Amino acid sequence: MLLYAIARQSFRRHLTYRAAAAAGLLTNFFFGIVRVAVLTALYDGRPEAAGITLPAAITFTALSQAVIGPLAAFSWFDVMRSVHSGEIAGDLLRPIGYLTYWLAHDFGRALTQFLLRGVPMLIGYVLLFPWIAPADTHFVWPQGGAMWTATGVCAVLAWLISFGWRFLSNLSAFWSPDARGIIRFVFSLSWFASGFLFPLRYFPDWLQQLCALTPFAYTVNAITEVYLGLQRGGDVVRLLAIQAAWAVALLAAGALVLRAGVRRLVILGG
Amino acid sequence: MTHHPSAAEAPRTGPLVERPPLAPLIDVRDLAKHFAMRRRPLVRAVDGVTFRVAPGELVGYLGPNGAGKSTTLKMLTGLLVPTSGHVTVAGRIPWRERRAHVATIGAVFGQRTSLWWDLPVIESFDLLRYIYRIPAERYRANLDTFRDLLDLDAFLQTPVRSLSLGQRMRADFAAAMLHDPTVLFLDEPTIGLDVVAKERVRRFIRHLNAERGTTVLLTTHDLADVERLCHRVLIIDGGRLLYDGNLAELQRRFGGRRELVVDLAEDVTDIGGDGSASRLDDPRFAVSGADVIARDGPRITYAFDRDETTAADLIARVTQRLRVVDLALKEPDIETTVRRIYEERLLDGA
Amino acid sequence: MMSTMPHLPSHPTARSSSSLRPPLADLHHHLGLLVRLVGAQVRSQLQYRVSFTMDVVSSFLMFGFEFGALAALFVRFETLGGWTLGEVAFMGGLTAVSFKTMDMLFSGFDPPAFGEHVRKGTFDAILLRPAPLTLQVLGSRFVLMRVGAIAEGVAVFALALWLVDVHWTAAKLTFLPLVVIGQLAFFAALFVIGSTVTFWTVDSIEAMNILTYGGHELNQYPAHIYPLGLRRFFTYVVPTLFLAYYPTLYLLDKPDPTGMPSWVRFIGPVIGLGAFAGATAIWHIGIRHYRSTGT
Repeated sequence: MLLYAIARQSFRRHLTYRAAAAAGLLTNFFFGIVRVAVLTALYDGRPEAAGITLPAAITFTALSQAVIGPLAAFSWFDVMRSVHSGEIAGDLLRPIGYLTYWLAHDFGRALTQFLLRGVPMLIGYVLLFPWIAPADTHFVWPQGGAMWTATGVCAVLAWLISFGWRFLSNLSAFWSPDARGIIRFVFSLSWFASGFLFPLRYFPDWLQQLCALTPFAYTVNAITEVYLGLQRGGDVVRLLAIQAAWAVALLAAGALVLRAGVRRLVILGG
Repeated sequence: MTHHPSAAEAPRTGPLVERPPLAPLIDVRDLAKHFAMRRRPLVRAVDGVTFRVAPGELVGYLGPNGAGKSTTLKMLTGLLVPTSGHVTVAGRIPWRERRAHVATIGAVFGQRTSLWWDLPVIESFDLLRYIYRIPAERYRANLDTFRDLLDLDAFLQTPVRSLSLGQRMRADFAAAMLHDPTVLFLDEPTIGLDVVAKERVRRFIRHLNAERGTTVLLTTHDLADVERLCHRVLIIDGGRLLYDGNLAELQRRFGGRRELVVDLAEDVTDIGGDGSASRLDDPRFAVSGADVIARDGPRITYAFDRDETTAADLIARVTQRLRVVDLALKEPDIETTVRRIYEERLLDGA
Repeated sequence: MMSTMPHLPSHPTARSSSSLRPPLADLHHHLGLLVRLVGAQVRSQLQYRVSFTMDVVSSFLMFGFEFGALAALFVRFETLGGWTLGEVAFMGGLTAVSFKTMDMLFSGFDPPAFGEHVRKGTFDAILLRPAPLTLQVLGSRFVLMRVGAIAEGVAVFALALWLVDVHWTAAKLTFLPLVVIGQLAFFAALFVIGSTVTFWTVDSIEAMNILTYGGHELNQYPAHIYPLGLRRFFTYVVPTLFLAYYPTLYLLDKPDPTGMPSWVRFIGPVIGLGAFAGATAIWHIGIRHYRSTGT
């Protein structure tokens, strides 16, 4: 119940930052339009590439834009700030674990972002689809209830993984006052490997395999694959399982590193 | 109109730095600043203000919030262009000759810093030395003096963003004086500071004025600033100058009633038992020469006119009649005094 | 209270009237001030060595990753709007170098940062110092870590030169730096205008972001792939496309699918410098407005 309360409080608070959340929506959309133009030019009339049709590729653009908010794709320094400012001292005294607290908090935030940014973005793309896509094509939707459910589960797992690596990288704050640079680096890596810029399918096989070694590939790219129906049946289950495994691994690592970090903090006297 | 007797303005001999010693340093005549806002009537922030400040004066510029103090100061420092009227500082029109004017003045705005946020204090000072072209000897001498007077050594190497408010104010003061300005403009310099820091700042201002002859014009909301520092006081309200003269005179003439707050030995219940324990005209507490204006359990507040009764007499009379545990004397604050002046329309006091 | 004969400070300090000094000495002093302001910033940023290095590497990689992703796509798709990877890299590298250099040099005019200054009232401190206002703003912020992004742009351009056989002539070699300067000046103009607008309101920052960062994004890809409406807007309303695309057509001897007259390939630098001049005028209007109305 406490988890729910924290999530709800975070949700409410982030909702009040409506203006800030809406800011940049138009800019994101603009960048999306450019990407659609690039994809269209790349396709050059091809019916499909790597199993993705152009309408599907344009739908991907909408998806990748919609997840920017919920997955905090560009930056997230909340935990770093809490450590550097000393707020963590108070946070650690809460009756709930530090990691669990931030998990619930981030869920509230992600939900708000989905409502304030994700949904409007998707709606925008659906409405503008006739203008930005080839004639007689349609915005792609998941095929059938099972796929919708799978996409939903996939999205939640993707968020969990995203939280996992964001939390972990923020923990570098315990060891370095220069954590900001480290975190930024990790983020720039994530844009490449997560399938945020382009679906990983387009990449050469060796590059795809490289990205698959990182947890990033199981965030945006996973959602893209499941949503567009690029993975079917058993493969979807496999993908979700790998996602779950990564999520557990990252959260466990987070808990361990946190403990080491707090120990260091206590020894050094904060 | 009461105003500080200053010498008649000497004729200007040309755009030179040298000028006759008794000419007013700050000359303000019918200065006005109006703000036109959309869908709102014209805001007359400053509405025809006239005064002169001679070199070496330490003048307080008082008024409630929104009275026009900051606006006047902004026009004097050249930040704001007046709507009409005349303003010169050391013979220059502030907004028109910005760089020349600004090189000879110092300014400290209480709410914000004039230093570079990310740089250590000493580096800010060094940049200012270069900007104001302060000769090396002069810079060193001033820096040493201010380090001593304002106790800067503890945080000279600290970036400005990491300073406490008190430390930042001290750094800002030093920064404002490094180039030996002839005039120092201060906008709410003690706001937000603790009592010790306030006193330190006041002491520094007094030193600057007494030892260096720096002319100081300070706006403030805090009567204590004025009482400790200024001999001459200008009061502004609603964009108009209400008073220009001596502070003691001001309180004597326009200060309202003083208050005596008395705590009785025991909580007094109402005799009649009808629950009206806070009746102000209860005869048990009546005392000649004062009125009961508030009653809160054992605490009674009397108001009296300084012309009618002295505090000592009233205390004597009250303590004779009642068993008093503690008492306090309250002076009218500047807000009340200014309100009185304005309400009684004392624009041209005798 | 105080002596009846108040004395003025007798020691000579700042000479007030700048007209007493020769103008060349003034210029020397002003440049010196800019150098010191920037130097102080650089020093303070270099203090956090690890963070700074990571930031530089990050900036280098950020653009590298973006470009790398696009490059990886070329393995499968081979051309973008008929252009090869080398040709896209040529324009992309050129654009990146121009924009990121501008971003570094004009950090002081970055609209959100400048808007903060105005909002907090610290811009007044600039008005209270006897130094040129524009110069102080330029020196107020200098984001050194952008060198990482600039280096990446150079790397991408170098890659392009390796991939593409450019037929260099003396004219083209002369024109190349002008293209960089033109683009730099144009986006600097957008920065300055965006900052000036914050004197009036902070609300329009997003619109400016689209013109600035969106415009930069547009300049990375050949313009003929864009929908007609978008292309028209960024040709006739905000002439962004003249800064990179059309000059690149000239430098790489490529045909123009948009059907514009051939002389538009050379007007980029003129447009950039013209925009900068216009922005400067707007800036001065903004200052005048600020000083008549206050915050």
